[in-house]
Amino acid sequence: MAEKEMDEEQLKALQEKLSKMSPEELKEFQKKQCIFCQIINGKVQSKKVYEDEHVIAILDINPANPGHILVMPKEHYSIMPQISDEEVGNIFVVAKALSNASLRALEAQGSNIIVANGVVAGQRAQHFMIHLIPRKENDNVNFNLPQKTIAEDELQAMHKKLTEALGTKAEKTEESKKEQIPKYMEKNVIDAEFREKPQKESILQLDKMRKEGKGAKDTEKEAKSSINLDDIAKILGAK
Amino acid sequence: MAQSRESCIICQIVENKVPSLKVYEDDITLAVLDINGANPGHCFVMPKNHYPIIEQVPDEELASVFGIANKISSAIFDSLKVQGTNIFVANGIPAGQTVAHFMVNVIPRKENDGINLQWKPKQLSEEEMSTVELKLKEQVENIEVKPEKKKRQISSQKAEPKFISDEDDFFMSQMRRIP
Repeated sequence: MAEKEMDEEQLKALQEKLSKMSPEELKEFQKKQCIFCQIINGKVQSKKVYEDEHVIAILDINPANPGHILVMPKEHYSIMPQISDEEVGNIFVVAKALSNASLRALEAQGSNIIVANGVVAGQRAQHFMIHLIPRKENDNVNFNLPQKTIAEDELQAMHKKLTEALGTKAEKTEESKKEQIPKYMEKNVIDAEFREKPQKESILQLDKMRKEGKGAKDTEKEAKSSINLDDIAKILGAK
Repeated sequence: MAQSRESCIICQIVENKVPSLKVYEDDITLAVLDINGANPGHCFVMPKNHYPIIEQVPDEELASVFGIANKISSAIFDSLKVQGTNIFVANGIPAGQTVAHFMVNVIPRKENDGINLQWKPKQLSEEEMSTVELKLKEQVENIEVKPEKKKRQISSQKAEPKFISDEDDFFMSQMRRIP
């Protein structure tokens, strides 16, 4: 009993402490509490399958299927809207390579990529992560999405809201991106650093490459290297 | 685009041959509202070029597509006043893929909305886990997974994939395996 009272007191003290913290301090505090941050800095053991400067991938200890991988940024973010588009892109590029690796290593026949932003979306961990789940036929995993009939006027309303929020073109200023992020999501220094970087750079370069006809060669190579994938496409097309 | 398929419904949407509710478009990426979405506001984000599965999408295009998916997820949070979003990709038939054009689902979420993307954890022994870890690591070492490196390659315009022959062998063997 005495112990329990202590806990409540501690909880109260903690809540008071939290309410006084600045966003930076709060972030630091979250980081300390985050089991995945401890995995990233090596304080907690894990089965690492990939690591680079910004991204880490470990095996999920409660896998949907053998080879279920969690791909995470090393920096602590709780949900995806806190992360710059460029960094999100990078993490998914790693996820793609790991999907490729699991097709080879585990003879998987496909993969699911799932991100849950928010508790209602099924998020459990405090650290943003991508679930990469190798799939085989009859593996007892089921992610079928319902198909709802959505009324025409509701669709139009959604369309209006989203196009307004997104702007018509890619030329969205960094300023408007900042405004777009809900207030309850705390910003942090690293995040701001990414924002300052010209996020469009790589896209613009790709654009330039394409105009100069240099991208076409790569696409050809890509096509060559993926003979059986085309075959998969045919199968998919036939269904 | 030579790679787009006349039979691909998504390519026809990209080429405006089939009407759609576009929410975002640039040179690489297109995002449309799903008229039979899992929830109202459910969007598809896809590369305009035709790639059936994620492994075929070049890194630069993939990064762009997921960057836009991030923008759309943020816009959904903001303008549709939802409590969450899911990013969902079905890659390959056993994963539930039904359209042969790689796409990312961005799904607005609310409580009790009838969507279930949960799974029952499978029990694996320590030994099984270690085997999986080893097998994966072995393959990861064979694959160049360096987004940073890739970017440098783009800027110097010398993108030379080094693993083509290896890739050929692998995909050839996979072709025989997959029915």
